[in-house]
Amino acid sequence: MSIADVIERARAQGRRVLTEVESKQVLAEAGIPVVPARLATTAQEAAAAARELGFPVVLKVVSPDIVHKTDVGGVRLGLASAEEVAQAFQDIVDSARRHVPQARIEGVSVQPQARPGVEVILGMSKDPQFGPVLMFGLGGILVEVLKDVSFRIVPIAPRDAREMVREIKAFPVLEGYRGQPPADLEALERMLLRLSDFAQAHPEVEELDLNPVFAYPDGAVAVDARVLLG
Amino acid sequence: MGGLPYSPEELRARLDRAFNPRAVAVVGDKRANGYLWLNSMRTFQGPVYSVQIDPQEAAAIAAMGFANYASLRELPGPVDYVVCAVPRQVAPRIVADCAETGATAVALFTSGFAETEQEEGVRLQREIGDIARRSGLLLIGPNCMGIYSPAAGVRHSAEQEVYDDGRVAFISQSGTHCINFSLVGYLHGVRCSKTVSVGNCELLDIPDYLDYFLHDPATEVIAMYVEGPRDGRRFFQVLQEAARRKPVVVWKGGVTEPGARAVYSHTASLATAPQVWRAAMRQAGAIEADSLEETIDVVKALLYARPTTGRRMGLIAMTGGQSVVITDAFAREGLEVPRLSQRSYDRLASFFNIIGGSYRNPLDAGGTVAMGFAVDNVRRLLEVLDDDQNVDAIAFEVGTGFLVRRIRQDPALAESLADALARFRDGSAKALVTVVHPGHAEDVSAQIRARFVERGLPVFATFQQAARALRKAIDYWRFRQELE
Repeated sequence: MSIADVIERARAQGRRVLTEVESKQVLAEAGIPVVPARLATTAQEAAAAARELGFPVVLKVVSPDIVHKTDVGGVRLGLASAEEVAQAFQDIVDSARRHVPQARIEGVSVQPQARPGVEVILGMSKDPQFGPVLMFGLGGILVEVLKDVSFRIVPIAPRDAREMVREIKAFPVLEGYRGQPPADLEALERMLLRLSDFAQAHPEVEELDLNPVFAYPDGAVAVDARVLLG
Repeated sequence: MGGLPYSPEELRARLDRAFNPRAVAVVGDKRANGYLWLNSMRTFQGPVYSVQIDPQEAAAIAAMGFANYASLRELPGPVDYVVCAVPRQVAPRIVADCAETGATAVALFTSGFAETEQEEGVRLQREIGDIARRSGLLLIGPNCMGIYSPAAGVRHSAEQEVYDDGRVAFISQSGTHCINFSLVGYLHGVRCSKTVSVGNCELLDIPDYLDYFLHDPATEVIAMYVEGPRDGRRFFQVLQEAARRKPVVVWKGGVTEPGARAVYSHTASLATAPQVWRAAMRQAGAIEADSLEETIDVVKALLYARPTTGRRMGLIAMTGGQSVVITDAFAREGLEVPRLSQRSYDRLASFFNIIGGSYRNPLDAGGTVAMGFAVDNVRRLLEVLDDDQNVDAIAFEVGTGFLVRRIRQDPALAESLADALARFRDGSAKALVTVVHPGHAEDVSAQIRARFVERGLPVFATFQQAARALRKAIDYWRFRQELE
């Protein structure tokens, strides 16, 4: 499905939030590397998708009504066999129903478990004066508590992407410390530039979160993503 | 907002006409204002017409020597710039008269419009905006002080000077800051090409003026006080374009949360998170300043210190204590204070008085310069730093304390010191900044500053101010270098 199709379908259903599966479809279409996610509506479908993607896999609940998936027991990691996947599917759906009885549950997303990397966050939001603004920071506590993030107004130039990555205080973490290999900074810059293009081409997108993105010595990939329409 | 029927070139040409009018009219000036507007226009060389219907005011205005009329429609000829100071209910009629008589621009001193956030004010502002939009009249404000164009003699304060060698344009969302920039700046050698107090920006917005000043040949540096542009994206785009060609210094009001609330009640501008604003300025290549003083400081560094992209400072102070804190001040801004070359040390050793002094860098020139105030040794020190390959820019502390008695006895000493520094500046490719602390004798420091300003030397009141202004100028020249 094209970006426009995905957005149109969400709109038709009266939704502003795209599911993780939809968000990743849209971003992949825009040339942003994502961990592919498949929607499974039954335990059998989930097991089949896992076999195709290769083990281990991660399962996450897909529901427009559930934002914090972990809080409702909606995420399972490191599933290594078809049996574990089928069981996890059932557990996730049951747990989500118990926590949020009125939630519309579309199913469960199945995706390969990404190898660990340095966690970073990329985002886009709308400023009342400047319009779309990109954000970059290191994952977790650094963004949430220390607000160690950089911003630029869309559209950005390569120079801006370079500065965004380098001006956060935690930049030395990306350069590699205590013998860790440096993260692929160019891959992060490329992602920022593609996000900028995407935000410019799609003014209907109000907010965008790629959280986390795993940065590797060779490349970077969005592990989770959320697109909010205006 | 927006919506004038002009191409960018036409708009610039019309603004140029407003800043260089053939005739000026003042509508509704009155005793209660001290006839502020007519008195301000006394320096205008062309005809200044007054429009005032109150018989008493009209008589007083005529007695002041101005031709007074009952209406803009009765003026003997066309006017390019009208200042309107009537009550807000009358404003739409005056603006309509401006439109019908073919005036180029009108600045509305009148307030009580959208900034009141009341329905009546918002409606009236819209009404005058619509009249201007329909007719192509350039509406400045409302709620503003309009234009200061020193070369044309058009002023918005009778305190302002007129001259024709101004190089700095200023755009302001506050009338106070606009006037103060011109007055305080003048004292520091910052002369304005043109300034404009923009008010509520119903029609002309900050980017329109910015674009005009970007293309104005007299303007080399642009500075502004901004609380919140009406169209942020357009502001950003024009700012980005402008900063690539001329230095643009942006002083933002309301960067703290309580400040942002104050901004809302002043110009009703929406708040952008300070971090996002800062990022936008950096992205555009604009230079940020946090106060009137800093804005003037940075402009001085841009105008009067030779453009440099090097960060290595040669520092000269007059005592041991000052050489420590001058070093802290420049290092705090991220500038370097390197060791000098061996050749420089050899040269310094030949004349430097190390009793009560030292010369590693910083140079503590107490014994060499200050004790007898040996101006010739100032020259020798500067020449050593000028020849040193490890140094990109030089900061010189005047040591006001040593000069108080000497200059009170012999004012010519201030002249010869200023001459020595100016001669050095003329022959050197390196940036030079000077520091004259007001200290305990502000009369003497003012005297020294005036002699320096006359010679186009950038003079700062503290090490911190000099360091910050120079660092911001260096950052800007580096930005320009990276573009190439």
